[in-house]
Amino acid sequence: MKKILSKLFVLLLLCTSVMAQERTVTGTVNGKDDGFPLPGVSVRVKGTTVGTQTGANGQFSLKVPANNSVLVFTYIGYASQEIVVGNKSNLIVSLALDDNQLNEVVVTALGIERDSRSLGYAVQTVKGDEISQRAESNVLNTLQGKVSGVNIGSSSGAPGASTNINIRGITSFNGSNQPLIVVDGIIFSNDTDNSQTTLFGSTPSNRLNDINPESIESINILKGPAASVLYGSRASAGVIVITTKSGKALGGKTEVTFSSSVNLQNVSYLPKLQNSYGQGANNNFVNNSTNSWGPAFGTPGYENVTTSWGESVPYQAYPNNLKDFFQTGKMYQNSLNLASGDQDRNFTVALSSTLHNGIVKESDFNRHNVQIGGNSKLNNGIKLGGTITYVKTSQRNSTTGNGGSAFGQINRIPRSYDLMGMPYKDELGRSIFYSTSGQNHPLWSLENEFLTSNVDRAFGNLSIGYDFADWLNVSYRITADTYTDRRKQIQRIGAARAPQGQLDEDLRFRAELNGDLLVTAKKSDIFTSGLNATVLLGQNINQRKFQQSGVLAESLTIPGFDNVSNGSVFNQSYESNTTRRLLGYYGQLSMDYNSYLFFELSGRVDQSSTLPSKNNSYFYPAASLSFVPTDAFDIKSDVLSYLKFRASAAKVGRDADPYLLQSVYVQSSFGNNVADIVFPISVGGSSIPGFQISSRIGSEDLTPEFVTSYEAGLNVGFLRNRLGLDFTYFYTKSTNQIFNVSVSSASGYDTRTTNIGEMTNKGIEAQLSATPIKSRSFSWDILANFTRIRNKVVDIAPGVETSDIDGDAFSGIIPSIAKGHPYGVIIGTANTRNENGDLLINPNTGLFVPGTAGQVIANPQPNWIGGLTNTFKYKNFSLSALVDVREGGNLYSFSQVDVRSGGSWEPTGVDRNQPRILPGVIANPDGTFRPNNIQISAQSYWSGIGGLASEGAVFDATAYRLREVTLSYNLPSALLSKTPFGSVTFGLSGRNLLLWAPGFPGDPELNTQGAGNIQGLDLNGIPATKNYGFNLRVTF
Amino acid sequence: MKFKIFNKIKAIGLSSIILISTSCSDFLDVNETPNNPTAVPPSALLPTALSGSAFANSNELNRFASTIMSVTYGAANDPAAWDIYNTDGADFGNQWRFEIYNGALINYERLLETSEDLNANSYKGIAKIMKAYTFALTTDSWGDVPYSEALQGDANPQPRIDSQKDIYLGNPSSNIQSLFDLVKEGLSDLDKESSVDPGVDDIAYGFPQYSDKIANWKRAGNSLLLKLAIQISRVEPEKARQIITEVIQGNNYIVNNSQDLTIKFGGQVGSQAPTHTYTNVSSFRNDLMISTRFVNLLKGLNDPRLPKFVTKPGTDYVTVDNGARGLTLPATATWSRFSSYVTGVNGEGPVRLLANFQRAFILAEAAVRLGTPGDPQALYTEGIRASMSSAGLTESEIDGYFAANPQVVTLSGTTEDRIRQIITQKYIAQYGNGLEQWNDWRRTGYPVLAQHQNAVGVDGTRPVRTPYINEEISRNPNFPDNVYSNVKVWWDID
Repeated sequence: MKKILSKLFVLLLLCTSVMAQERTVTGTVNGKDDGFPLPGVSVRVKGTTVGTQTGANGQFSLKVPANNSVLVFTYIGYASQEIVVGNKSNLIVSLALDDNQLNEVVVTALGIERDSRSLGYAVQTVKGDEISQRAESNVLNTLQGKVSGVNIGSSSGAPGASTNINIRGITSFNGSNQPLIVVDGIIFSNDTDNSQTTLFGSTPSNRLNDINPESIESINILKGPAASVLYGSRASAGVIVITTKSGKALGGKTEVTFSSSVNLQNVSYLPKLQNSYGQGANNNFVNNSTNSWGPAFGTPGYENVTTSWGESVPYQAYPNNLKDFFQTGKMYQNSLNLASGDQDRNFTVALSSTLHNGIVKESDFNRHNVQIGGNSKLNNGIKLGGTITYVKTSQRNSTTGNGGSAFGQINRIPRSYDLMGMPYKDELGRSIFYSTSGQNHPLWSLENEFLTSNVDRAFGNLSIGYDFADWLNVSYRITADTYTDRRKQIQRIGAARAPQGQLDEDLRFRAELNGDLLVTAKKSDIFTSGLNATVLLGQNINQRKFQQSGVLAESLTIPGFDNVSNGSVFNQSYESNTTRRLLGYYGQLSMDYNSYLFFELSGRVDQSSTLPSKNNSYFYPAASLSFVPTDAFDIKSDVLSYLKFRASAAKVGRDADPYLLQSVYVQSSFGNNVADIVFPISVGGSSIPGFQISSRIGSEDLTPEFVTSYEAGLNVGFLRNRLGLDFTYFYTKSTNQIFNVSVSSASGYDTRTTNIGEMTNKGIEAQLSATPIKSRSFSWDILANFTRIRNKVVDIAPGVETSDIDGDAFSGIIPSIAKGHPYGVIIGTANTRNENGDLLINPNTGLFVPGTAGQVIANPQPNWIGGLTNTFKYKNFSLSALVDVREGGNLYSFSQVDVRSGGSWEPTGVDRNQPRILPGVIANPDGTFRPNNIQISAQSYWSGIGGLASEGAVFDATAYRLREVTLSYNLPSALLSKTPFGSVTFGLSGRNLLLWAPGFPGDPELNTQGAGNIQGLDLNGIPATKNYGFNLRVTF
Repeated sequence: MKFKIFNKIKAIGLSSIILISTSCSDFLDVNETPNNPTAVPPSALLPTALSGSAFANSNELNRFASTIMSVTYGAANDPAAWDIYNTDGADFGNQWRFEIYNGALINYERLLETSEDLNANSYKGIAKIMKAYTFALTTDSWGDVPYSEALQGDANPQPRIDSQKDIYLGNPSSNIQSLFDLVKEGLSDLDKESSVDPGVDDIAYGFPQYSDKIANWKRAGNSLLLKLAIQISRVEPEKARQIITEVIQGNNYIVNNSQDLTIKFGGQVGSQAPTHTYTNVSSFRNDLMISTRFVNLLKGLNDPRLPKFVTKPGTDYVTVDNGARGLTLPATATWSRFSSYVTGVNGEGPVRLLANFQRAFILAEAAVRLGTPGDPQALYTEGIRASMSSAGLTESEIDGYFAANPQVVTLSGTTEDRIRQIITQKYIAQYGNGLEQWNDWRRTGYPVLAQHQNAVGVDGTRPVRTPYINEEISRNPNFPDNVYSNVKVWWDID
């Protein structure tokens, strides 16, 4: 019945148009900025449904009613234009780019391009030129400070170091909180795959690092679940949609772009150190001491001292012994991009290379990419598209971590130790170092303890589509992303953590396949004029495989021979395989009414292999609404140019990790770095295997976890959009979390997997854009953004107040979820206080009384983060500076405690001979307190403030930073007109140029645990860097 | 032409949809782990659990106890803190969790279940005896600990704490089985027919030099009863006397060094006894050297075990006095360390859990204090001889020492004097097993140990317990806060 009605309706419409007198108008539509023809522009007779689209060369032909018709030209990203036909029969129309930033084209879920005004949720776009040529090789780092709602932090200054990113806070207790990365429609692995333990090991790259920032056309950040629901479970942490450069917008031209940059890198901000006192303790010289509590330089009798290996050396300060440990890093980036074609047929070839030697000797990161892609519309109307990229990334990094690594030692170098001047190895290649406790000279460690990683990665997609009717498109897309990472962790004979040497030949393989069937139906002017609807139905089939296998060779024989055949013990060799699969069915209905009212309804059903079959199907919906009153009520003025309200609600379900349902047995092992065994053990000539019950209790009753999200926001443009505000408030609630919740060890286990808990995020994110000055030759643009997120673990499990987050942690310093606190707080030993909050002092010692364990002592989440970019353009010059702020949040720093309690930090050298009094009170027998008046030495004071496992190791990580400065110059086109060059741009860029961190002696942007759920720990990592570079871009 | 392509696309689309829907259930059926077994035989669990008990006894807790008992000097890292009596809940988390409850104990529990199903009574018996040994180690160190409700996994994720008294003596009203009864149950399992007996997976007695493995385990079980009984002998003398008398009458305990309950390790990396790894191999190998006090004690007694126990790379022993601070340590290559008596030549160990000399000294102490059967002097002499023999001294060397040092080897004086002599010799004999030295010292006050220099601790006194680990305090509300290391355990009455 409905069908018949609608057919009648259409017929009726057709009849009315046939009845009128008609004539044909032809024309061409060009872009005003470049003059290229615009294909796909909608041409409609105003007030009717009569319309067409421009063809490949921008031309159209349309029958219009004879009487004074008006044609409306609309095209995404361009300002629409109305033209009175009059008696003209051939029109040339130039559409101007819509300089209203609030109205841009954005790429949304599944690569669907949408006008931003239609979106009921927040999406932010960063264009390629905002991240390219930034003296930085990690895409995520180039986004720092530029996107609201997003928290990005690099883990260290090592080349290729991983970078953590969370969009709108943490929503899962245990799952990945890194957003889903989609590159040209390909679900792209951004795994970090920490190897060994991150307490002692190297943190490898996050694999988004395989993308060269130069190849990126745009990045769209889909922040909330409403935006990402079509991607399914994995998008609950948001989505980053990356589109690489293609020939689509070239209008038939061929363009070659060459860009090149040379960058230098230095260690950023080391703590300031004293230079008055040398190695030792209690004012005595002690030649194997890690401390600088020795005698003052110049003390009679201490002109020369004897090292721990018996050499007589002058006793003096080596002011730069820490600084000189770091070298100037160099990074060369080159890329060549060839693109050709138009909207329908295009072709891209891109080559790029990044060569990076880090600030630490013997560390590098090299990346080479080759990309080929193209799209074609065949004569029969079938659209084919595909791209394939091959990346080869190699990385070498030194091991870090407390004790036993170069960076475990570097903050324990006494001020009188000539770190870089003394020999660090003997003729047999063995370490020479002051330490007599098995530690090695840091330079020796750099040479002999390191991780290499060699990634070969290929990813690509193939899509085929066909318009069965002008309103119906069916397409199928296959994407694949696969890589092998051949790693080798080398610890040569003499290494502190493996004195007999150890080689870990570690092969990792990851592959993800996706198939997506998409059916899109569009209908304009249904029921009433101006009401348009799009229906999308899809099906996704997904498989992810991971394999890791390795040979661990121990007890090496030949020094420096890094081949596993050098080993004599191999019983720790290993293998692990995971496979997970998912089937998804999804649909979306989008409606718009006269381009000012938009409504969207989405839903998805997932079936996952990782949940028990009884619970493995789950549905989740999303709805969003957007309304543009300035258009609806025609109240647009020069003052209020644009106003949009939006709201959305969504729920996203998420499955478990594979293999969590069962309790299993694992190969037995005991001990830690003090002493350990791993089965099978070899005893009395027999090899004895051993298995033990895994410390995790499985659950056959897991159900999916859910994130429910609500957001509301508005976009306002004032003064012809010279001033714009984009404001969002969001609230998310995560429930039913799949988590390995800690149990009392006395239960025989460490964790049990179950659905528990509730966590909320409330946040505001705002972007302000302003163009105070805009003239022909000078413009000033301001872009500011602000993010404040309040995360709270509302509930864990009955009777459970805190639980560990999965990952490596030091005993007594536990990244945790704690009821009533933000996610990821660190639980450790707090100083004991009385009811007034005064620190309690032991009357016998003058030191703090023993601390109270199990307390929340640090919160790594910032209070707010913000970024401010000022861009000035004068003629062909462009200068841009980004300041970002991260206010609040803590960093638990071993490095700074080492420097402080070891007496190296500058303040420890001030008035060292004067006695000090720790702040606090002493308990009187009658229950009252008296102020502490017990004098202690400087050494006792500074080491008493806090050791490694205490509240004293917690620092405020607030940082105000000049994150990025770029200056570029375009050669005037007049100069280029007689050359083959289309454009030539020179640039200078710098990163992390100034820092003010009031609560931290160094640079607090550091996390030795790498990208992942554990944040805020500096367990002796590699410090951050500042970068400077010169770059050049030429197009032909 | 166009039409045909339509049909093809439709056909492909349709057939792929059919393909997906028909194979759907199989397609998702990939969640059985290929990486781990879900069931293992008793022979895979026994060596795991035994080595767990050996680690509990001889790894960090031994470094701690040997140091506070003035046997070793803490030169660096944690031992340096222990050397001045500092210990808190940040210490021994790995021991409590991965060596004890999630290590040895839960795997004895799994072994009990598996062997119950298989009617493998010998495994069951061993598991019960060793479970009792390991729980005793735990309560001796930490006092009141989870016991009757422990090891139940999901069924009880936050078990209650049982008092040390209830753990040792049992408490039927609270459903707590005494450790003595647990050992006795194990002994009676060993008497039963077993479907399968352990082989070399029994890394205590499974090797060719032991002719009758099960008979040795019975001797070990009875000797464990003696150890448990002497431990509570101050606070519960009647119970101790009764148990010891029963065992003596049963006459099936360790009477020969070859019957010692020792856990064997191997000579290669990854198989080595923890004592060897932390003395000679790992990056923490320079944390411990032998204390001047221990060497002086043996020198003062002309004890011939000194060169067997303590290494001497140079001309004389290179040691440091406990608690000494701020001095330049001698070159590490010259340090006196645990000898191969403790570590094995290449790390074989063994780790001595129950020894013949220990049994003899227990019986000597019981005979003096509790009046149990046996001649104190003979038992005292037997203990010294067994230890010296175990240390590698020949019969004639031992005879020579006895002849030359009658005042050392002869008990004399008051009961207290004789106890002091017995425990002092037991302290020397237990070299390398710090926990037993600490147990005896806490129970008896012997040997008389001087304060360490620069002592800090809670109140400047030597620790008498290990504080609860921080993780348990935060995970299990049954654990009290702030039970410091100066709070005595139940059997430590003075």
